[in-house]
Amino acid sequence: MSSEQGSNFEFLNRYDDRVSHLGAQAEQYVHTDPESCLFKLRLMVEMMARRLVELQAPRLADLDLIAILRSLEQYGMLPKKQADGMHAIRRDGNAAVHGSETPIPTAMRRLRDAHRISAWYCSMIHRGLKVHPSQFVPPPGPVQKDDHSQAMHEAAEALEDQIDDRRRATREGLLLFNEQEDVPTEVHRIVSELEGLDRVAQAAGEPLVDAEFVAVVMAMEMEQLLEHPTLGLDTREAKREAEKQFQRIKDGFELRETLYAEERRALMLYHQRERQDRHTREN
Amino acid sequence: MSETTVAMNEQEQLATLWFIAARAMAVADGTVPAVKEASAGLYAQAILGLSEETCRVAKSPESIGNLTLVDCLAGVHALPRELAEKIMTGVMMIAFADGHMEPLEVRWASMLASACEMTDEDFQRCCASARVIASMFNPTAPQVEGEE
Repeated sequence: MSSEQGSNFEFLNRYDDRVSHLGAQAEQYVHTDPESCLFKLRLMVEMMARRLVELQAPRLADLDLIAILRSLEQYGMLPKKQADGMHAIRRDGNAAVHGSETPIPTAMRRLRDAHRISAWYCSMIHRGLKVHPSQFVPPPGPVQKDDHSQAMHEAAEALEDQIDDRRRATREGLLLFNEQEDVPTEVHRIVSELEGLDRVAQAAGEPLVDAEFVAVVMAMEMEQLLEHPTLGLDTREAKREAEKQFQRIKDGFELRETLYAEERRALMLYHQRERQDRHTREN
Repeated sequence: MSETTVAMNEQEQLATLWFIAARAMAVADGTVPAVKEASAGLYAQAILGLSEETCRVAKSPESIGNLTLVDCLAGVHALPRELAEKIMTGVMMIAFADGHMEPLEVRWASMLASACEMTDEDFQRCCASARVIASMFNPTAPQVEGEE
C-alpha cells in the first residue's frame, strides 16, 4: 500500500495492538502475496477468537479455532454475520497455508471482512464501547498491465460473488427465520400463541398426550442426554439435573392449576353476588 | 417410490409445517438459541429430504406469514403417519438441543403429539430417536453462559 495512506486497521491500535499489527501486515501483502495476506488474517481471527473466549468462557480456550468459533456461536456470543466472516477467513486461510493459490480479489474480500469484524471485536472486548472505524479503503495495487490480467481479475471477482450468493442461499435455507423477518416480533407472536394453547388445555382439559406425561418422558431423555460426553455430567449429576427440571415443570403445572381454580372460584362468587343483588333489587 | 415421496407443492407445504413446528419449539422460552436455529435446517434437509430451495420458499412471507400454530396442528394432523412422526422427532430434537426444558416446550410437544394422534409409546419412540439425533448435533449444557 502507498506510504501516504494509513492502515484501515489503525483504529484498532488503542484496543489491541497485536491484532491491529496483523491487519496492517495483511494489507501490505494483499497485492504482492495474497496467500501471506490470508495467513495473517487467519492468525488475526484466531487471536480475536481466543481473546473473546478468554473473556467469556475460559474453559473453551484450549480448543482449536473451528471449535472455538462454533462454541461462541452456540452460546450466542458470536452473531451470524461476524461468524460467517470469521469462518470465511479461516477456510481461505487454511487453503492458503496448504498451498492453494489465492486470487487477489479473494484476499481483498477477506481483508474487508476482517475490517468489519475487528470493529465488532472492539465493542466486544470493551463492553458497550461504540467504535466507529473509518470506511474500508482497498489498499491501492499496481495498475493492471494488460487486458488478460484485467479479465482474470474480473473473473475472480465474479466467482467470489457467486460463492457469496451460494453461502447466503445455504444459510437462508438452514436458519429458522429469514434475515428480513422481524425476529423479536415473531418470537413474541409465537410465545403468545403457545400461552393461548396452554390456557385452552387448562380450561378444556389435557389433549390426547397429556403434558405431565410429556414432561416425564422428556426428563428421562434429558437425563440420558446430559450424560453424553459433550455435556459431561456424571450419572448422578444428570439424574439430579433432570429431576430438578421435571420438578420445576410439575410445580409450574400445579401453580397454574391452583391459579386457575382460584380464578374460577372468584368468577363463581362474582356471579353469585350478581344474582343475589338482582334478587334483592327485584324484591 | 416411498409413500413419503410427495409432489413439489406438497414438499413446500411440508417444509412450511416443519418450520412453524420447529420455530414454536425453538422459541418457547422466549429466545432464539443458535444451537436450535441451525439444527432445524439441517434436519429439514437431511431427514425430511427437503431441498435448500424448498426450505427458503417455505419461509417466505407468502408461505409462512399468515399461518398460526393452530394451522400447523391441523396440517400435521392431515399428514401421513410416517411424516408426522418425523416432524415430531425433529421438534423433540430441537427441544433437547440445549439440555433444558421449559413449560411451553412441554405444552407444544403435548399439543403436537396429540394432533398426530400418537400413542404414549409412539411419543416415547420419537423422543428416544430425537435424543440420539440431538446428541449428534453437539448439544449445549444448561447454564454454561457466564461461567468463569
